[in-house]
Amino acid sequence: MLDVRSILSILASNIKATGLPVPAPREALYSWSEGLSIPKDGDTLLYTGGLYQLLPYIEVYSSQLAKLEDKRSGGLLLRAAGRFSSLSRIAGAIVRPSKREVEESKRILQSIVRLLDAAGVRVAYRREVDGYSGVLLYDMGLDDDFKKHFAQVARSLAQTGARTIVTVDPHTTHVLRSVARRLGLLPELEVKTYLELLAENIDNINFKKGRAGTAAIHDSCLYARRENVIAQPRLLLERAGYQILEPRRSGRLTYCCGGPIESIAPKLSSRIALARIGELADTGAERIATMCPICLANLKRASRTAGGPPVVDLSLLLAERLEA
Amino acid sequence: MRLTLEEVLEQVYRGLEDPEFQEALRRAVSNAEGKHLEKLRSHPYLSALARQVREAKEEVINNIDTYVRKTMESLRRVKATPYLAETASEAREIVYRIVGGEGPVVMSKSMVAEEVGLRDYLSSRGVEIWETDLGQLLVQLEHGKPMHTTAPAIHLTVDRAARLVRDRLGVDLPPKPRPEDIVAAVRVFLREKFVRAKAGISGANAIAADTGAVVLVENEGNIRLVTGLPEKHIVIAGIDKILPNLDIALAEALVQAAYAGLYPPTYIDVIAGPSNTADIEHHRVYGAHGPRELHVVLVDNGRLNAARDPDLRDQLRCIRCGRCQWECPVWQQTANLWGGPVYGGPMGVLWTAITLGKEAGAGLAMLCLNCGRCDAVCPVEIPLSRLIRNLKKYYAEK
Repeated sequence: MLDVRSILSILASNIKATGLPVPAPREALYSWSEGLSIPKDGDTLLYTGGLYQLLPYIEVYSSQLAKLEDKRSGGLLLRAAGRFSSLSRIAGAIVRPSKREVEESKRILQSIVRLLDAAGVRVAYRREVDGYSGVLLYDMGLDDDFKKHFAQVARSLAQTGARTIVTVDPHTTHVLRSVARRLGLLPELEVKTYLELLAENIDNINFKKGRAGTAAIHDSCLYARRENVIAQPRLLLERAGYQILEPRRSGRLTYCCGGPIESIAPKLSSRIALARIGELADTGAERIATMCPICLANLKRASRTAGGPPVVDLSLLLAERLEA
Repeated sequence: MRLTLEEVLEQVYRGLEDPEFQEALRRAVSNAEGKHLEKLRSHPYLSALARQVREAKEEVINNIDTYVRKTMESLRRVKATPYLAETASEAREIVYRIVGGEGPVVMSKSMVAEEVGLRDYLSSRGVEIWETDLGQLLVQLEHGKPMHTTAPAIHLTVDRAARLVRDRLGVDLPPKPRPEDIVAAVRVFLREKFVRAKAGISGANAIAADTGAVVLVENEGNIRLVTGLPEKHIVIAGIDKILPNLDIALAEALVQAAYAGLYPPTYIDVIAGPSNTADIEHHRVYGAHGPRELHVVLVDNGRLNAARDPDLRDQLRCIRCGRCQWECPVWQQTANLWGGPVYGGPMGVLWTAITLGKEAGAGLAMLCLNCGRCDAVCPVEIPLSRLIRNLKKYYAEK
């Protein structure tokens, strides 16, 4: 059985020490942008929040935690590590993410930039400003740590002079647009997801003609229920030529992938993921479209276990339909 | 009884590894999930009623002391005897004194009775006591806890239910019993208890402050017998069940039934005082065919404090329809194994925090996905996932 308080203290001490929830090199955040010519200044600033980039590291980290869950000594090791804040060092040496996953996360972010460009939306990007939003701290109830961490995020965003922040995942979007605003932590910055920007400018996008196959859509809970991002992914997929198949539970009543409790209760989390992948597969779709890195990782794993269809990030599905 | 998160996880994992539990749960969920949506579509006035109930609940929470006082006055006016129990043990003692150690006592399902541990307490004092709601009787027989607010035995397959009834009640059932066989056997078994019962204990779906009328909604018909046959009827209910007027109390019963997924409800009972007649010389006599005494035990047990606590007050609007449970991805795997020693699911985490303290709810909150599905279906718009996330603070900061 995992010792949850230890997980929390490991999480908090990782973020305090490095700004990141898991031991990962800082360049993991921005290496996707190398070789791309994105301006550093502009009204519209891309802030990735780091979730896509960190997920391959989080994956390895939590699978190590899951293994510990089954070992009697695991709790002890974790407790000790938590107490001495040393697991980050222990784990720093052993977190080696899958190369394929790292490459995929880079392709996702590169696709998002390509799509925005195709839609005529000019974004700026600053690797020194990009970072982790601290969403896990907030989700786990570590409010003081979150506020401290986010104050820095807000300061560096404000210093760029941008007026609109473009986000790429639902968790970062929710933290920036709803949580930070409610807590009075973010100055008057407009926050938009790339999906909203693409949908607003859809007539500019030149998609390939013809059919692209079928895709079952997995709405993100935060997008669908908190941020009202439901119509946009559908509009985009449809214009890109996909036939959209809706699972039994979709839109406002979409179903969680189980991801948020993965580090606390891995077995329970994976049961939920399996239930969800089952109904997504039941649509008979060739591929499953997700729009959140946590959903992507969790459902991909579940689909492998259940022998379901491939789970693909929405941005990749859209980008492969762009005219060259 | 408080459980640590680690103890809860152990229970939850036992449930995950129990194929019979999982199978029963899967069947029940597939029948119940989304059920309220059909009802709302075919009876559009229900959404408007739900909004009215929400507002009325707010009014009561904002003025809780006034409404408790007013309710007690109204109860006295209709010749009922009101009590205000500050704690669970006070509530148990009050009921024991009313019962006077005399059994048998029949009960209709009440989560507040579970909350204060009433059945076990009366039983430990030597009172013969029987649950009469079928699901709740099964829970009594297995010495377990209700696994859903309105459907307490959803974790039992027909085979497991049959085993319980056979082994614990000594009732004959056919070799491969169907649900119908169990229902029929229990009906026969309980009939004699109803007739001999000295007191009947029920909960309340709503209590109208203006009239002292207690409103109960049900389908089995057991509430009619529990509240109608014995000489004494004892109502045990949280003060959160108070609504300003009888019209809105009736609306609450309709909304509760619809969101529980059973609409129209088979029965709605309104009980305003003991049974009475004035048929002879227009002289009012109390105790006609129904009970001669009506006792109403209003239970605080943390609710008054919660009404003043921004982290918990919204939860007092809860009408216990159990909709958040049916729709919650975690609950669909665990039933009420997650949520607390009595309550379960999203609403359970918060009721545990109200009745046992925030720390008791805080560990449980850590298993919430914060996916917000519960918020999207709650008839009285309780921001459950936000309240649960706020409880995580108490866990994390300790």
